[in-house]
Amino acid sequence: MDFAFSDEQKMFRDTLYRYGKEEIAPLCEEADLKGEFSYEIWNKMAKMGVLGLPFPEELGGQGADIVMCCIAGEALGHAGVDGGSLLAWGAHTYLCACNIFNFGTEEQKKKYVPRLASGEWIGCMGLTEPGAGSDAASIRTTAVKKGDKYILNGSKTFITNAPVADVAVVFATLDRSKRHEGITAFIVEKDFPGFSTGKPFHKMGCKCSATSEVFFEDCEVPEENLLGEECGGWQIALSGVEWDRSTLLSPFLGGSIYSLELCARYANERHQFNRPIGKFQAVQHRIADMKVFVEAVRLAIYRVASAKDNGVMLNPLQAAVNKVYAGDEGFRMASDAVQIFGGYGLMHEYPVERNLRDAKLGAIGGGTSDIMRMIVSRIMLM
Amino acid sequence: MDYELTNDQKELQQDMARFCKEEIAPKAKVLDESPRDKTGGIIKENLKRLARVNYLGLGIEARYKGRDLDLVSQCIAGEEVAKACASTFLSAWSSAYMFGAMLKLFGTDEQKDKYLPGLVKADIIGALAYTEPDAGVDIAGIKTTAEKKGDKWVINGTKDLVTNAPIADVFLVLAYTDTDAESGSGMTVFIIDKDTKGLSVGKSIETMGLRGAPIAGINIDNCEVSDDSILGGETGKGFSQIERILENGKLGMATMAVGIGMACMDKSTQYAKERKAFGRQIGKFQEVGFKLADMFTYNDLGRMLTYRAAWGFDKGEKEASILASCAKLFAGEAITNIANWAIQVFAGHGYLKGTDVERLYRDARFCEIGYGTSEMQRSVISKDALDKFAS
Repeated sequence: MDFAFSDEQKMFRDTLYRYGKEEIAPLCEEADLKGEFSYEIWNKMAKMGVLGLPFPEELGGQGADIVMCCIAGEALGHAGVDGGSLLAWGAHTYLCACNIFNFGTEEQKKKYVPRLASGEWIGCMGLTEPGAGSDAASIRTTAVKKGDKYILNGSKTFITNAPVADVAVVFATLDRSKRHEGITAFIVEKDFPGFSTGKPFHKMGCKCSATSEVFFEDCEVPEENLLGEECGGWQIALSGVEWDRSTLLSPFLGGSIYSLELCARYANERHQFNRPIGKFQAVQHRIADMKVFVEAVRLAIYRVASAKDNGVMLNPLQAAVNKVYAGDEGFRMASDAVQIFGGYGLMHEYPVERNLRDAKLGAIGGGTSDIMRMIVSRIMLM
Repeated sequence: MDYELTNDQKELQQDMARFCKEEIAPKAKVLDESPRDKTGGIIKENLKRLARVNYLGLGIEARYKGRDLDLVSQCIAGEEVAKACASTFLSAWSSAYMFGAMLKLFGTDEQKDKYLPGLVKADIIGALAYTEPDAGVDIAGIKTTAEKKGDKWVINGTKDLVTNAPIADVFLVLAYTDTDAESGSGMTVFIIDKDTKGLSVGKSIETMGLRGAPIAGINIDNCEVSDDSILGGETGKGFSQIERILENGKLGMATMAVGIGMACMDKSTQYAKERKAFGRQIGKFQEVGFKLADMFTYNDLGRMLTYRAAWGFDKGEKEASILASCAKLFAGEAITNIANWAIQVFAGHGYLKGTDVERLYRDARFCEIGYGTSEMQRSVISKDALDKFAS
């Protein structure tokens, strides 16, 4: 048992934190107000090398393990980088590039991973459909083999990065009647005939990640772009759960540390009734809860991440616990932060406002809290 | 970085789980239901049983027949005891991990030689007496005094809510030795045997839960002890000694919460599988199933926070104290909810006197109170966070 971060890990975190704070965070308020994907932020993340963190150096990556990836997410969230930009990174690196890296052929890896790692290309992943969210096995997008091509028809929705993506990992079914056993993954480039994306949605939070529908109208995918095997898509969709439950949650951890610090500073500076509001127990109560949340969610995330790095089989209970707690409690903490700032907390200039809107995604994206509870209770009742 | 238990820790966990299920759990109900003046004998037997697997010596050095394991291991083992019987856990923790740890951390060699071997074997039971009718966590508010007269110290005062007092052979008593000094340096802990003239134990106090853990006040009336009775041999150290041992208290409460939580989950899950309503297992209804999920979530994270804090003490981290407060606050509030949900899963059957969850519900409530209420923990945690960002 060893909970400590190594010196190398601490240095890595400090470096990213400083870079994020100086180079990226100052751009976030305006980018969030515009509500658009920010290429400026994207290029800064690319320059820092985070977009290719988990890939080997020969494919343009940094060779980082999953704990390092979480440290990066935490550090940038802590630095004040908005949830949307960090989500764009997560969807790109962990949902798109990681799947190609883990399941792709040598040719696929060589073709796509270096471009994604450098940020030259932007990636996305398409699983969710208008009629298939938590019940992902019921997707309706179909794939039919014709000659040396697969023809895809259907639509996807809520696809992070779709409006800006150059390449997508897409799930379609070869046989709907087989449900999850018919699902197959493809690598689809934006220029493939029949591929199009909708207008970016206006979202409540995580606004700097562009999200839209994706349409396939007799979309032609060359057979060499099959990812993994025919009908092997479900395993690919499930495979990333350790990554989802650690790396994708790490920005929320960082965001809550950022929020705690902002609140502590404000509670010291803001005076009412001749004393700092931090002297009032109701304010102290919220600050204490934020600190407890930070410590608990940190343990939850790095437990799953370090187990993966150490080759321990995933405990699905622990993974679900992370999501429930980070999602539900995280939103409550973000709301408490706004409460501490009072009227100012409602103003866009104060990052706690953005943080509250961004935090709601934690209880929804990648499996809602309800689904997580369903998983935990089913296992318990086995 | 490695969050997994070591093989030794896993083995300890399994051994304790098996042992406690067979030897300790069967006494939980009878301890809860017996009249307060009858529980002392049963709890002493349980402590003797625990001594057989050297649970009381887990943290004590090998030369006193202990196992010299770290705090994390003590928490791992403690959970299993608390799961089986929270009263037994509290009594054992108070004797071995509060009283015993005080001697281990601060005692002179003579003091350790005198008490620790007996403590490990449960031949000696210890109690820590610092709380008073008008002073709880506000330690500086105590009124007990020790006055030097010749080569003797004469101690006067009243201690309240002393766990193990009715069965204790020896007490650690906090007193002012210098009322003019700052509270931090004017206090001293004395080791006082129960038979010392002037020391009397009050009537066993009735409690809502943890009814098997003996508790009473003690009265100290012109009790005379020598310099040898000063813990560590030096006056003026009492405040910091008690402050340090309260960290073990926080960890103990968090550990107890997690243990009771495991019991609540086991009972509730089993019932949710067996009990049917509207033609199906009640666990299949989300209102029940999701409660089980929440029980697991909060218990699991409470355990992680507890291990993290204990590990911090083992490594000498400065941050460990705040982490222990976080663990105590989190696990304490979690078990209040978890025990409440357990009753709700059992519904009418959980409200019946004599059912396990009914006892667990009453036992659980202390976790938010003992060794610093949730309110105190929040105060400490927020002060630390605010001070870090003071302008």
